[in-house]
Amino acid sequence: MAKTPRDRKGVVSSPDLGLLKPGKYYLQGNQACIEGALMAGCRVYAGYPITPAVETMEYASQRFPQAGCRFIQMEDEIASACALIGSSWGGAKAMTATSGPGFSLMQEAISIGVMSETPMVIVDIQRAGPGQGYITASQQDIMQARWGHHGDGPIIALAPSSVQEMFDFTIEAFNLSEQWRTPVLVMAEETVGHMREPVLVPHTDAIETIERKKPQDLGISPRDYLPWGHDTVAPMANWGEGYNVNFVALVHLEDGNITKYSPQANYHCVERLQRKIEGNVREIARIETKFLEDCKHLIICYGAVSRTGMEAVIEAREVSGLEVGYIRLVTPWPFPEEQLREIVGEVNTIFVPEMNLGMMRHPITEALRDRCRKVVSIPSLGTLHSPEYILSKVREEVS
Amino acid sequence: MKKHPMLKYLKEEGPLGPRMPLIFCPGCGSGQVLNYTLYAVDRVIEEDGISKERFLFISGIGCSGRITSHYLNFDSAWTIHGRALAVATGALLANPQFRVIVFTGDGDTGSIGGNHFIHACRRNIDVTILCLNNGLYGMTGGQHAPTTPIGAITTTTPYSNREGAFDLCKLAETAGASYVARWTTAHPRQVIKSIVKGLRKKGTAFIEILSQCPVHEKIPATTLLKQFRKNTVPFSKAGELTDGKTLIGEFCDVERREWNEAYQEIIDQFLIHDGGIDE
Repeated sequence: MAKTPRDRKGVVSSPDLGLLKPGKYYLQGNQACIEGALMAGCRVYAGYPITPAVETMEYASQRFPQAGCRFIQMEDEIASACALIGSSWGGAKAMTATSGPGFSLMQEAISIGVMSETPMVIVDIQRAGPGQGYITASQQDIMQARWGHHGDGPIIALAPSSVQEMFDFTIEAFNLSEQWRTPVLVMAEETVGHMREPVLVPHTDAIETIERKKPQDLGISPRDYLPWGHDTVAPMANWGEGYNVNFVALVHLEDGNITKYSPQANYHCVERLQRKIEGNVREIARIETKFLEDCKHLIICYGAVSRTGMEAVIEAREVSGLEVGYIRLVTPWPFPEEQLREIVGEVNTIFVPEMNLGMMRHPITEALRDRCRKVVSIPSLGTLHSPEYILSKVREEVS
Repeated sequence: MKKHPMLKYLKEEGPLGPRMPLIFCPGCGSGQVLNYTLYAVDRVIEEDGISKERFLFISGIGCSGRITSHYLNFDSAWTIHGRALAVATGALLANPQFRVIVFTGDGDTGSIGGNHFIHACRRNIDVTILCLNNGLYGMTGGQHAPTTPIGAITTTTPYSNREGAFDLCKLAETAGASYVARWTTAHPRQVIKSIVKGLRKKGTAFIEILSQCPVHEKIPATTLLKQFRKNTVPFSKAGELTDGKTLIGEFCDVERREWNEAYQEIIDQFLIHDGGIDE
């Protein structure tokens, strides 16, 4: 017999219920994201509908209660992102999904999440902008992901390229967010959100899930507990566990004291946040490479474009005889500048195909301007480039 | 010296030094409301046997926001301007067992957080909202608020305010809150009683407390408190005419389905003995 809510001792029922059994499923990217979230132990979804992210929340509204979890349609995206902060400190892994204009509305809460070191996952199924733009695919929020929220504050962002990766990367996003106590973004495009592909779901035992470090487990008493101290990533006591945490997003000392403001305290507080992520880029950021040994040119891409980019590289090598290498930024943020400088030698031209007018070419140029003759942006708006189109732009430049 | 009995709920010291004194200006109503709230919480802890750990204090920004600052010896959150109720909703999604108290101001609730406010009431989430209404923005220096009376001079209405004011209690009642009351800082016993009622109510309890700001109103606190007694009239005595006075008392006290309880029914459909999904 199901117990009445008042009898229920814990919170919500076990998230082990309603998870997909191991096997092969044919899913949409937006759906795979939700299945991944449930696998990662997400217990709360709070969102607001927007095309092309709407299938995530429709699917979540169906799947979350099946898994004993809670779904809510909030009054707007501001409320959705703020609800994640409450849920996370309330002890539940929480997520939302949105697109361009909604992502803009969430920036305030993302900034608060960074400052208060709140684990939370936000999925952006990017649509074309600016303004209402259009509901077609884009990568136009990739800079907003890093710099959209107010103030200094690092961010972690993953860029999936397939439905399988929507499943896998959502799990990874929760893990990174718990491990580093910070908001993590999944920056997908409409292309991937609406893509339908087979997804291989492993047994739950084969899926690694990371939980936040807790002061109780480290033998830290409530009296000595520093919610924003102890270590680079402070242990996190959830509300309701007797630690009397005074959540704060103002400049604070490690114990949450806000009356001892000084420029030094400000620097210490914010620099620590920066160091936590940017100082651990090697551990956090992933890049994939191919054909770097002999390459004269290079294509650097992320997200959905990494698939067409790879096709273009293979065609360039096999059909056109061009020695083109391939780099994929699996996690565009934190930007892996040092790793890139280690693996990229002298090349002629670096091509950056993007579904925007050339955003990531800026940090790429900053990192590699002395390693190449030129960095060339290959933009596409509203649609994914075809491999042929990328290749034609490469040929135009190098012939 | 004998200590104030409610000091047991405050942090005089933190791991990195003292947390006192409170930051409120002399004569501010926020300290009074904190005091009344702690008395009410103390009663619920003592009489209902609810553990202290289940209480959660959440606030937005503004003078009212500072009530949940770092001297509160409870789990608390001092969040974003207007967003306290959205954060509270999230906390209750994670753990419906929390007894959530939201401190908010009139600008916080009526303006920047207006949308969150009406939707929290509509959903009837299980929170007790204490809205400190001083009729202006205190923290930023005395600008007009959606509760400022017509004709008032503030730092952003130097030629007098021409906008009408919100009646936040009527708004809460219309939007669906289970319990709505209005008092002033000059009505301590009534405020405490209402907060206790709110904490025991399953659903949204909205309690507006008219609060003085002697700094921006440039009138001594004692005079303002006397004015609160003089310029308000309880429902029982008002009848049809309020004589231009502000109505105080309980606007509504009804039983209505709370969000989490209603949602639990959906979750329960999928629960069976062996822990699998009931397809």
